Amino acid sequence: MALLAPESLGDANRAGKDARRGTGELSRGALGVAMNLPTIGLLLLVLAYPVVYAGYLSLHQVGIAQLRRGVFPWNNGDNYARLLEDPLFALALKNTILFTLLVVGVEVVLAIAIALLLNQASLWTSRLARLLILIPYGVPPITNGLIWSFMYSFQFGFLNRVLFSSGLINEPVNWAGNPNTALYAVAVAYIWRTLPFAVLIVHAALQGIPRELHEAATVDGASAWQRFRSITLPLLMPVIIIILILRTSFAFAVFEEILAITQGGPGDASYVAAWYTYKLTFSPPNNIGMGAASAYVLALLVGLFAIAYVRLLYRRIA
Amino acid sequence: MEPRGLPRLLMHLANGLVILFIMLPIVAVVLGSLQPERTLQGESRRVIPSEWTLDNFTVILTQGQQKGRIFEQATYLPDNIKSFYRAFANSLIVALGVTLLTVGFGALSAYTVARLELRWALWLMQANVVARFLPAIVLMIPLYVVVRSLGQLNTLHAVVLTETGFLLPYAIVILVPFFANIPADLEDAARIDGCTHFQAFWRIILPLSAPGLAACAVIMFIISWHELLIPLILNSRPEFMTLPVIVASLVGDVHVFFNLLMAICLLSLLPTVILVALLQRYVVEGLAAGAVKG
Repeated sequence: MALLAPESLGDANRAGKDARRGTGELSRGALGVAMNLPTIGLLLLVLAYPVVYAGYLSLHQVGIAQLRRGVFPWNNGDNYARLLEDPLFALALKNTILFTLLVVGVEVVLAIAIALLLNQASLWTSRLARLLILIPYGVPPITNGLIWSFMYSFQFGFLNRVLFSSGLINEPVNWAGNPNTALYAVAVAYIWRTLPFAVLIVHAALQGIPRELHEAATVDGASAWQRFRSITLPLLMPVIIIILILRTSFAFAVFEEILAITQGGPGDASYVAAWYTYKLTFSPPNNIGMGAASAYVLALLVGLFAIAYVRLLYRRIA
Repeated sequence: MEPRGLPRLLMHLANGLVILFIMLPIVAVVLGSLQPERTLQGESRRVIPSEWTLDNFTVILTQGQQKGRIFEQATYLPDNIKSFYRAFANSLIVALGVTLLTVGFGALSAYTVARLELRWALWLMQANVVARFLPAIVLMIPLYVVVRSLGQLNTLHAVVLTETGFLLPYAIVILVPFFANIPADLEDAARIDGCTHFQAFWRIILPLSAPGLAACAVIMFIISWHELLIPLILNSRPEFMTLPVIVASLVGDVHVFFNLLMAICLLSLLPTVILVALLQRYVVEGLAAGAVKG
C-alpha cells in the first residue's frame, strides 16, 4: 500500500468508513500530529501556559484591585523578597520538608513490610488484608481529612473513645490540637490514604520475583533475613525508588488533610507550603502575586524530583 | 515455603494490626453517622452508642425537608447540606466528562507514543511524566486569573476542561504500556490486509486494550471524583459546587456536629469505595502500569 502525502484526518476517517483501502492514508508523522492535537492543545492551555503565566504573575503586583482593573504593575521581585523574609513561609517550608521525610520514610518501610505480609497466600489473614488494603484509595482526600478530624477530636474523638474503652488512657489526648503533635497527626491521616498505592506497587513487584531464586538460596542454607537482604530487596530497589520520588513530590503538595484537620494550626504549627500558598492567594487580602511566587518555589522543588524520576525511568527502559 | 509455628502466629498478629489500621477510620465514619448528637456528646468515652438513628442521612437526603427526631430543635442547617443532590450530580457530570475526555484523548496520544515510533512522541511522553508532578495549587493561581478574566468562573465546563488537562498526562502514562504490550504481529497483519494506521488503531489496538482502557477510566473517574482544589477555586456558587467542595465547606462550621459530618462523609466516599471494591483488578493493573511500566 502506498503511503500518500499528508492529508487531513477527515480523509483517513472517511477511508475507514468506506473500507476502501489505500485511498488517503496519512504519513506516520502527520497521523501522529493529528492524533495528538487534542492532547497538545490541552497541555498548552491548561499546563504550559499557566506555568508561564504564574511566573509572570509572581513578578507583578496582583491583588483584587489589580484584578478588577486588569493591570498588573511590575514590582521588581518584591513578591520573592517578601516571601523570603516571611517567617511563616520559612516555617511552612520547614514543616513541608519534615512532613514529607516522615511520610515517605514510614510509607516505604511499611509498604515493603505489608507487601511481604500480603504475599503469604497461605494465611487467611493475609488474604483478608489483601482484600481490604485498597479501600483507603477510594476515600476522597477531603473526606479522609474530615474523618480523621473526628478520629482526633479532643472531646468527642473516636480514637480517644477506643483508647478509653480498652483502658489505655484515663485522660483524653489532644492529638491534633497540640502544636507538638498536630503535624504528625496529619501525617498519619495522609499515610492512611496514600499507603495502599505503595503497598500495591511493591506487591506487584514481589510477584514478579521468580520463586526459584528463593528456593535455590534456601537450599544453599540462606536464612529468611539473608534471602530478603540479598534477593528481595535488591530486586525491589527500582520500585522503591519510584515510590520514593512519587510520594515525595506528592507529599510536598499536601493540602486536603491540612485543610480538614488543622487548617495550619494550632497557631501556625502545621502550616505547609500548599496551605500557605492557598491562604495567601485566596483569603483576604488576596495577594495573588506573592501566592504565585510561593507556588513557583513549590513547583521548583517538586520539579527537581520530577526530573530525577524521568531520568530514572528512561534510563531503565533504554 | 509456608511459615509455621511462632512466625505464623506473628504474621497473623501483624495482619491483624494492618486490618485494624485500615478499618478504624471506616468504623469511625459508620458509627459516627449512625448516632444522634446527644450520644456523641454525652457518651464521649463509649465506642458503641446506646442509641442508633438514621436521621443524619434522612436530613441530608431529603435536603432538610424531613428533619427527623434529632434535628427537630435545629433552627439552622448549612445551605450546602441542602444542596447535596445538586453537588452529587455536579460531581457525576464532571467525573464522567473528565473520564470520557481523558481516556479518549489519552488513547489517541498513547497510540502514537507506543506504536508510531516517532522521535518527538517520546519527548511528549517525557513531558507527560513531568507534567504529572505539577501540584494543582501551582496551576490554580494563574488559571483562576485566566478563567476569571474570561468570565467562566462558576461553570462546570471550566472545571471539566481544567481537570482533563491536569489528568491527561497521567492517563497517557497509564495507557502506553497497555498499547505497547499488544503483539506487533497483529497490527502488521492488519496493515498487510490494507488497514491504515488509524484503522489498525481503531479496529485492532483499541478493542484489544479494553482492559487497559477500563483500568484508566476507573482511575480517572476516582481522581476526578476526589478532586477538591480545582472546583473549590473555580466555583464558589452553591449550584456549581461538587461534592468535595460541599464537604470542605463544612470544615469549621460550628453548627455542624460530627454525626451529620460523618453522614455526609460516608455518602461522599461510597461511590468511589464501591468502585474500587468492584473493579479492584482494574485499579491494581492501572496503578501498576502507570507507576512502573511507564
